[in-house]
Amino acid sequence: MSAITVAKKDFADAARSRKLMGLTAVFALFTLGGAFLASWAGDLFAELEGEGAESTLDLVFALQTPAGYLVPIIALVIGYAAIAGERESGSLKFLLGLPHTRRDVVIGKILGRSAVVAVSILVGFLVGLIGLFVFVGSVSIVDYLLFTVVTILFGFVYVCIAVGLSSMTGSTTRAAAGAFGLIVFFWFIWSFLAMGLLYLVEGSLWMDDHPDWYVSLLSLSPDAAYGSAIAAVFGEGQFTIATAYGVENPPLLAEPWFGFVVLAVWALVPLGIGLWQFGRADL
Amino acid sequence: MTTINISNATKRYGTETALDGLDLSVRRGEIYGFLGPNGAGKSTTINLILDFIRPTAGEVSVFGLDAREDTLEIRTRTGILPEGVETYDRLTGRKHVEFAIESKGADDDPDELLERVGIADSADKKAGGYSKGMTQRLMFATALVGEPDLLILDEPSTGLDPNGAREMREIIREENARGATVFFSSHILGQVEAICDRVGILRKGELVAEDTVDGLRDSMPEQTRLRVQVDRIPEDSSAALEAIESVDGVSEVSADGTTLVVTCEDRAKTTVLRTIEEQGVSIEDFATDESSLEDLFMAYTADDRTEVTQ
Repeated sequence: MSAITVAKKDFADAARSRKLMGLTAVFALFTLGGAFLASWAGDLFAELEGEGAESTLDLVFALQTPAGYLVPIIALVIGYAAIAGERESGSLKFLLGLPHTRRDVVIGKILGRSAVVAVSILVGFLVGLIGLFVFVGSVSIVDYLLFTVVTILFGFVYVCIAVGLSSMTGSTTRAAAGAFGLIVFFWFIWSFLAMGLLYLVEGSLWMDDHPDWYVSLLSLSPDAAYGSAIAAVFGEGQFTIATAYGVENPPLLAEPWFGFVVLAVWALVPLGIGLWQFGRADL
Repeated sequence: MTTINISNATKRYGTETALDGLDLSVRRGEIYGFLGPNGAGKSTTINLILDFIRPTAGEVSVFGLDAREDTLEIRTRTGILPEGVETYDRLTGRKHVEFAIESKGADDDPDELLERVGIADSADKKAGGYSKGMTQRLMFATALVGEPDLLILDEPSTGLDPNGAREMREIIREENARGATVFFSSHILGQVEAICDRVGILRKGELVAEDTVDGLRDSMPEQTRLRVQVDRIPEDSSAALEAIESVDGVSEVSADGTTLVVTCEDRAKTTVLRTIEEQGVSIEDFATDESSLEDLFMAYTADDRTEVTQ
């Protein structure tokens, strides 16, 4: 109950942030652009192959890219100062002076900031949906909603990472550096390291069949897991790493449903460490 | 009955000792003034009571409950005004009070509380635009939520003008009359003297004095400082000074030209003056000044600039 009280207040506070409004606007622009590109590409294919407007899945595919990049940024920007910022400013003493446990505060922050990120995603996707209606004409609302739900889940995972980081330190600078470092790590370093490892093991980067461990490793980042989870929901392989590498029988870790497990681990591990650190910290 | 009981509490940060074996108890229903210069360890003590930090050694209990294990119950029954607290800039004053009411499961009227601390007019303004004094009043209002059994106020008059500080003292008295125990810290004696039943003076992480305000006053011998102007310096000045020093009740004598400063007990005054005249000089003028509680406070806390600040 206490966590809900904290979450409600936190939502009211964070939802009034200008940063959030700006990020949401950028996100909406990108979904709109994605919708436009999807319809443009669809028309192109229609001319070439004589087919009509493409399925909603293709549209989802077009929107997954902006969402995959922007949702983590929104969640990290919204979440990185959740705890560290209050420790720095001193408002945490007001919060903890009231009868809330430290755990309540962290859980409340995650719920509050997740709700904020969810609103941002909903606004962005609503604009995207309008765009799809305008540019394409017809969209499967159910598929679109499923996609939205999985994306909100993805946002939730990054909020857990951000708030987890934020609870580990009393400095927003360090929390921000951690959040920024994670983005760089997942986007660039992860696949770079995997490639280096591939070269070390196989002696080459170019091969017809990539080894299972390589496909598994690449599937373990939260961003890849997001694709896997979408694939699992739609029963379509086209969003997964395995498909990208042409693997027909993906290893367990690269299975679409396993994306949910990966997402859960990415949410819980930073959160667990954050809770432990914050629980024993001198404020 | 003790409300706060701290026994042998030590807090170290690395090699710095912020608190050193502090023993302190606050009785139920009293107003306890926690005095000391900045950096003496007052906030460290309060942070221990609130479980914001954990002691390196020692025990802290509030309402007979363990400050660490039962911190939630303690904070349900306590109203807190932390030092240097910040508001949520984007939320209104009323929202802050409403949040405190909901958090405590109380049923106060937020407007009544805001009225009481004198910022009802600004209830709907965002707290980010509040002055320091208004912020302090707002935080005080949230501390009053739910008629707490204990009020912990860390430097409550920060940012308040004298009038605001007086109004706050008035509310503290009302709360105490209702039955609340009040623990409040200050680095200014005047804030505490007027209102406290008992006073503890903290210096370098140790309690150097603890008594009622009157008790502290009584504990000082009635020292008087006599400033005596004589017409000339006697031939054997050191013998003259020795003669004055040997008077019963005199603790210090110093001379600067023809001005003598004699610190002595009240009763010794006449003897001192007579002894001076016996040295063959005549007194042209003299003045006395009584030492105040402020002097005592200064004496206890002076030379504290190299303190551990946290």
